[in-house]
Amino acid sequence: MDTGNQTSNTADDARMDEPHSVLSPPSSALNSVVDHLFRHQAGRVVATLTRIFGWQNLELAEDVVQDSIIKAMRHWAYHGIPDNPAGWIMQVAKNEALDILRRERTLRGKQEQLARLPDYQADAAADLEILDNELYDDQLRMMFTCCHPAIARESRVALTLKTLGGFGVSEIGRAFLQSETTIAQRLVRAKRTLRQMNVPFVVPEADELPTRLDSLLEVLYLMFNEGYSAHQGEDVVRHDLCAEAIRLATLLARHPTGDLPKVHALLALMLLLAARLDTRTDEAGDLLLLDEQDRSGWNQRMMGAGMSELTQSAQGEELSQYHLEAGIAAAHAVAPSYAATDWRRVLIHYDLLLQMTGSPVVALNRAVALAMLDGPAVGLETLSEVRRMVGMENYYLLHATCAEFQRQIGEVDAARASYQRALELTSSEPGRRFLQHRIEQLTKQ
Amino acid sequence: MSQFMLLIRGGDEAFASFTPEQAQQALQMFYDWTEKLRSEGRYISADRLKVGGNVIRICQGHAVVDGPYAETKEGVGGYFMITAADAAAATELAKGCPVLTYGGIIEVREVAVNP
Repeated sequence: MDTGNQTSNTADDARMDEPHSVLSPPSSALNSVVDHLFRHQAGRVVATLTRIFGWQNLELAEDVVQDSIIKAMRHWAYHGIPDNPAGWIMQVAKNEALDILRRERTLRGKQEQLARLPDYQADAAADLEILDNELYDDQLRMMFTCCHPAIARESRVALTLKTLGGFGVSEIGRAFLQSETTIAQRLVRAKRTLRQMNVPFVVPEADELPTRLDSLLEVLYLMFNEGYSAHQGEDVVRHDLCAEAIRLATLLARHPTGDLPKVHALLALMLLLAARLDTRTDEAGDLLLLDEQDRSGWNQRMMGAGMSELTQSAQGEELSQYHLEAGIAAAHAVAPSYAATDWRRVLIHYDLLLQMTGSPVVALNRAVALAMLDGPAVGLETLSEVRRMVGMENYYLLHATCAEFQRQIGEVDAARASYQRALELTSSEPGRRFLQHRIEQLTKQ
Repeated sequence: MSQFMLLIRGGDEAFASFTPEQAQQALQMFYDWTEKLRSEGRYISADRLKVGGNVIRICQGHAVVDGPYAETKEGVGGYFMITAADAAAATELAKGCPVLTYGGIIEVREVAVNP
């Protein structure tokens, strides 16, 4: 115990995978198990350790938590899973992080750093009692920090998923159709930014809150949409993204800081859309449009929760983009069928949304609602304006929608040409199958 | 009721080659088996043993220490102390241990309480 050399050996031993024990898959395999089973626990514990040890030790916190979970899983094989696995992991991780920092102090003389650390062994019991509140607040601090506007926009989502959600780099890559290297680089850059900017690990104060909150909500919205939008293959990870976005938005909405109309509106939107997730594909995995979905399969519990959030979002003066999108989702949720939807209400929401965002995609959706009210000819006329908006000429859904209206008014040849154009513009496999199916149906008419 | 020690050997090579799904499944089977022993009141204690360790023998009047003990393939990786009516019952319980499904072996030994 007296030489620096011995101390560093101990450090290596503690980090080393024991290669021959009964339960010893290679660390990559176990890491994946950790990703699957203990995603949320890992995120929570990392958040708390980061608050205690500071941002400069975020990677230490991640390593230690991963280590602790692997130790825990092996231990549990012999002792059974404890009643409070998260508390168990937290305790082991804290102790291990303290051990490592103590050794660093011995080696590098970092006395000052450790002097600030409370003695966690002494109040282990008290720790477990306050664990829930502590974890809760820390997760909120972590959310605001990961979504700090100083971090590049595309990195915020990845950092949030990794740090709070405990998603693995490969899972994030799969979800965003990006390589692991790209995601890993984004994470490194994001963490570097936080260190360089010395971003405090706090929930922002009132003056800063509005902009920080907007950035946080945008990240949750992107995270959800990434999971919700139809990409090639319905990877389970994509649904996990939706679930994680809902979990984080719920945490935010239940906290005094986040109990705001806009937050409830976003949560309402996510819940109302997620309630339809299971009915979005048929048995062959092909996409089903809203009018083809089996509405009896919509998740009623989620719908109810979404409607309740929507009610809460109506307090106050603010009308956000999330309010309007949630309003549209709610109109669909309560409609007995596609045709019997309150299209007037949907159209009003799209009108406001278009004014607010100027988004061409919103303009396209608005045209669909308009066509449901005033007929396909009016829809087609509106589309000729939408077509002139930026990027729309090459957007496959514009042509698919156009084809649908042309089919409805009997312009079969024009419809076929439009479907063909849409087909040329999409690489999504479910999207292509859908369009091909439409063209075949057209030929039969 | 008699006490038995289940000595768990091997199985590591197969486990090391598992996919995450297989590893997860094996862990879950292990948890279930341990939980079953506990719920039936048969579980006394159990632990995993660290790799390595020393072997001591007397050679020409001196204690000779070999180690770390390298032969891990058949080495004891962990043990369970359980209660069972007799050796046959203990053996039946041991058959449920998932390590058997991926190449491990279990030695079932009764504790000699009364000499």
